[in-house]
Amino acid sequence: MSADRSASEAARPSILEVDGVTMRFGGLVANENVSFDVREGEIFAVIGPNGAGKTTLFNAITGIYQPTAGRVLFRGREIIKEFGGRVIAQALIVGVCTSFALVVALNLTDIWAAAVDANYTYGEPFPWGDSLLSFLGFFKDVGIAWGLVPAILGLFLGIGTGIVFWKNGRRTPDLIARAGIARTFQNIRLFPELNLIENVLVGMDSRLTTRFWHALLRLPRFFRERRAATAKAMELLGFVELADKAAEKAKNLPYGHQRRLEIARALASEPKLLLLDEPAAGMNPAETVDLMRLIKKVRERGVTVVLIEHHMRVVMGISDRIVVLQYGKKIAEGTPEAIKCDERCIEAYLGKEELG
Amino acid sequence: MRRTTLHSSRRRGSGRLDVLILGIAVLLPLVDWLIVQMGGSTGLIDPMKSIFIYAILGLGLNIVTGFTGLLHLGVAAFMAIGVYSFAILTADIYPFQLGFWPALALTLPIGAIAGFLLGAPTLGLRGDYLAIVTLGFGEIVQDVLRNLETITKGTQGINPLPPPRVPLPDSLGGVNGWYEFQADSPVPWYYLFLGFLILTVIANRHLEQSRIGRAWMSVREDDLASKAMGIPPVKTKMVAFATAAAISAFAGGLWASSLSSTGEPANYDFQVSILALCIVIIGGMGNISGVLVGAFVMIGVNDIVLQKVFGWMQTSGLTSTGSVFGSPNNWKFLLFGLALILMMRFKPDGLIPARAPRTTPKKLPSTSGGAGERTGGTKA
Repeated sequence: MSADRSASEAARPSILEVDGVTMRFGGLVANENVSFDVREGEIFAVIGPNGAGKTTLFNAITGIYQPTAGRVLFRGREIIKEFGGRVIAQALIVGVCTSFALVVALNLTDIWAAAVDANYTYGEPFPWGDSLLSFLGFFKDVGIAWGLVPAILGLFLGIGTGIVFWKNGRRTPDLIARAGIARTFQNIRLFPELNLIENVLVGMDSRLTTRFWHALLRLPRFFRERRAATAKAMELLGFVELADKAAEKAKNLPYGHQRRLEIARALASEPKLLLLDEPAAGMNPAETVDLMRLIKKVRERGVTVVLIEHHMRVVMGISDRIVVLQYGKKIAEGTPEAIKCDERCIEAYLGKEELG
Repeated sequence: MRRTTLHSSRRRGSGRLDVLILGIAVLLPLVDWLIVQMGGSTGLIDPMKSIFIYAILGLGLNIVTGFTGLLHLGVAAFMAIGVYSFAILTADIYPFQLGFWPALALTLPIGAIAGFLLGAPTLGLRGDYLAIVTLGFGEIVQDVLRNLETITKGTQGINPLPPPRVPLPDSLGGVNGWYEFQADSPVPWYYLFLGFLILTVIANRHLEQSRIGRAWMSVREDDLASKAMGIPPVKTKMVAFATAAAISAFAGGLWASSLSSTGEPANYDFQVSILALCIVIIGGMGNISGVLVGAFVMIGVNDIVLQKVFGWMQTSGLTSTGSVFGSPNNWKFLLFGLALILMMRFKPDGLIPARAPRTTPKKLPSTSGGAGERTGGTKA
């Protein structure tokens, strides 16, 4: 913790708390007990030499990886689906349905014979009530081997499946993105065949409310939302200065523009926190200056920014605070001025850059 | 400032193509009627039905394979589910006897539920594994239908099935009796099938150009990025899968009604799935007009051209039962396989590859530059 943080900054609530995150892949420790908080409205940089575990940390924050140990708190709470009544109810429903389906499937021909064939005479109206009674009556007489055993098996199978689904879906990237953490990728990951507007609209998906039926039948809500969403997408493309290319396919954009499009796409979900993974990588000096201006503009929209970056000019120029990782461990944290003077950082990382 | 007349014109062009195809299809019976009046015969109307059915099937598959990018080798199974549920709901040997329209409407939710049940446990699988699961499912459904004799009548199939009935308006606009579709007058069937094909095209387009379609395409384009944008992957794929299954089942119900029989379960085998897949691949994956073109080319060759060739071979004495080449049915798959290989080699994006932008802004800065300079330079 740096001592020179001003009082007003300390008073701001923290938006992201990384609390003792450890990521282990087999024997490899990519992050070890990394902790820091990011305060609302900050531009916060994560730096460190290649292989220091910066991107792994981002992946742990955004749910692509599950931390081996430690927690990530966003606005004071972990983004996970809690194990509660809802999960139990869902698992039970799946269990009962599986159990019922299994018994019916195993006895299908007998059930059909008892409930349909026995009650239906050709040309006569079908006695639905009797059929239902014989259907239910069938279950009374079904033996243990074909009734009880599969029923219990199905119940366990279904409940187990329900719980596994909950466990796997407890902390997923989409859940975290919907909660308000957006990100970009180190190796740009746009949707190459979609045009710029569509790329941004995919990013906006979590803010759209059109359902399947609205889209299929083109109900008024679809048109209303399409108008608003397209206007907003155009506004965002204007924000990153790509509005004149709105109808291009993303793959046809030059590299620097793709980076900016990725930022627009991430902003479309109206995030509170934006994680940028090496936004200046591969940019020329002029583009880098534009990018710094853009990141500041993003902050002015009320979005907190955390970035990984190697360009020291970017990092020192725009960040409020910096955390330094080396070999997966945090070795320093503080303002750019403090980091510049920190001996360990110079040794680990900055020295080369400053001299070179 | 170099927004592109190219893109918007291409978009309109691709929109025009499917309208054009369907427009020609609407007028075709008239042409046929004229030819018949002049003493000729075409025999085109009846085979067109199977083109339309395969086009509907292909449009269903296009949602999973074209938009969402999942290889699906079992559409025939969902078609069979549609066929048999339509049959069980309508045939008079069963108590339900729903009639054509309600039963056909019910094939949609039944297909969707079947798709959901297959998709729920398997859509977490990646790429090839899903293809294997769908392939296996196709085989299992056939076997189940064959062996569940008390319900499906095994290899006999269920028949007869009711044809659609439509009210005939009288001069005052009231109902004046009912018209029941006849097996020997193909034109009403033709328009029924064409009407449903047009509805399917419209539904596909509506989905494609909405949030739902964008989510599908984002999964295809980059699975991880789409997750990171808040799109739930399994749910998105599930919706695609269930929609495709519903459309396939619907095609099945329609087909069963026109045959007045389910036929035997082996009619809905792997060949049907592969033919549907070829239609999507040859037409251009993820392109609705492309699927229509693909269906016309593939099924047109299969059901019209090759039959004509066979007829010609018979009249000119080229057929012999002893030779494998005696009937086109023996070597048509060779032809299709060759076509597929050539497509993959020379035109991997399909016949109609232009995957046009679907959402274009209404008002962009007016274009001044030519369409040629598309990628533009950087600022540096």
